[in-house]
Amino acid sequence: MGVHILAFATSPRRHGNSETLLDALLDAMAAEGDVTVEKYALDEIDIRPCRGCNACEKLNRCIIKDDDLHWVLDKIIEADIVVMAAPVYCMGMCSQAKALVDRMQVLRSRKFVLHLPVVPAERQGKRLGAFLSTAGQDWDYVFDALKPVVKCFFHVMDIKNRDISYLMVNSVDKKGELAVHPTAIADAKTLGTQMVKEIKKRLAEEGK
Amino acid sequence: MREWEREKMNEDNHVVDKTHRPVRVLGISGSPRRRGNTEQLLDRFLEGAADAGGETEKIVLSTLDYHSCKGCNACHKTGVCVIDDDFIPILTEKVPEADIVALASPIYSMSITSEMKAFIDRAHPVWAQQFKLNMVHYDKEHFTAHLGFFLATSGMGRSDIFDYAYPIITAFFNGFGYGYTPDHNITAPAMDRWGGIKEHPTALASAYLAGKEAVRKLEKMRSDEQSK
Repeated sequence: MGVHILAFATSPRRHGNSETLLDALLDAMAAEGDVTVEKYALDEIDIRPCRGCNACEKLNRCIIKDDDLHWVLDKIIEADIVVMAAPVYCMGMCSQAKALVDRMQVLRSRKFVLHLPVVPAERQGKRLGAFLSTAGQDWDYVFDALKPVVKCFFHVMDIKNRDISYLMVNSVDKKGELAVHPTAIADAKTLGTQMVKEIKKRLAEEGK
Repeated sequence: MREWEREKMNEDNHVVDKTHRPVRVLGISGSPRRRGNTEQLLDRFLEGAADAGGETEKIVLSTLDYHSCKGCNACHKTGVCVIDDDFIPILTEKVPEADIVALASPIYSMSITSEMKAFIDRAHPVWAQQFKLNMVHYDKEHFTAHLGFFLATSGMGRSDIFDYAYPIITAFFNGFGYGYTPDHNITAPAMDRWGGIKEHPTALASAYLAGKEAVRKLEKMRSDEQSK
């Protein structure tokens, strides 16, 4: 068995700053060995906005059948580590990322309305999440409004606050700026290594 | 840049005399659910505005054909968007030509819906016009003569439920030179507990009153201005 890592590059700009940060993290994770890394760019898959129909509260699945959410949800549930990278647009995460978060409503309904397990009991506490972000603005509060949204994303997939890591870099606007940032790449690599070590430790523990 | 956009940018919107026409009120709903709590709240706001003599229009984002911002930053050089879809006339004509704009959205996952976020992200050209290109500058009078409102509903009742939407709404209204202050938020929390907006004790009445008072305020400003 290996560690399953699932990552979403949500920015509409491929290989821009937030994805570069993500790639540094994923490279460090892959270097740890015995891991499978899957990365999906939302620019290349189809995740539409939530319709707010609340059908998932009864059906336990999303009523939108013709986009990519179904297999994405399966992968989210299978993964040991889920990573999302999103740029800040207008003080929030880009709308593409927000659509993915909103579609997790299926998991929210499963967990809080239908009271069904999202992951089996033996995998509780054995999942980690990471949120990576970049912002053009240099304000230190530029990430404040999106953190609660990130928490919603991870909570409904049974990843608790203490198991969510954040790496958010402000003042990177133009394409390529992240790559020359003094600390960002190194921080992403350190975080990647740490997370894989931590998840391996937890997976090796006896089930509760 | 398309020809009509160039022409539009050459005109100076600020000298358009808005004082001899009714106050224009634009309501934009970001809810995917038609005629749900959020749209009802917006409808009451627009009714209040109409009763005070305003000329109202409602736009429902989920009925439009639109794309999310591509992050291409072409607008940083040109001031206009490379995408041509249903958002363009709203962003280049309807919002700039209105006097009062009300954005309405339910809270999904602690923020506005992705439809409303897509709309706001696409307003990036107006930010670029101001801060990258120095093409536009809104003076203090513009902010007092243009009023931005945020109408929101939420299922949950936690006290900070709307807090993370405000900075996004602020970014939008700053881009268009609309005055948006905390008293311009009309919020209806805990819809799950109330069982819908009609059962909420104050929200619909507050929205109606806010719409009415906003139009009256601008009309009073205009008549004060003329009697000077």
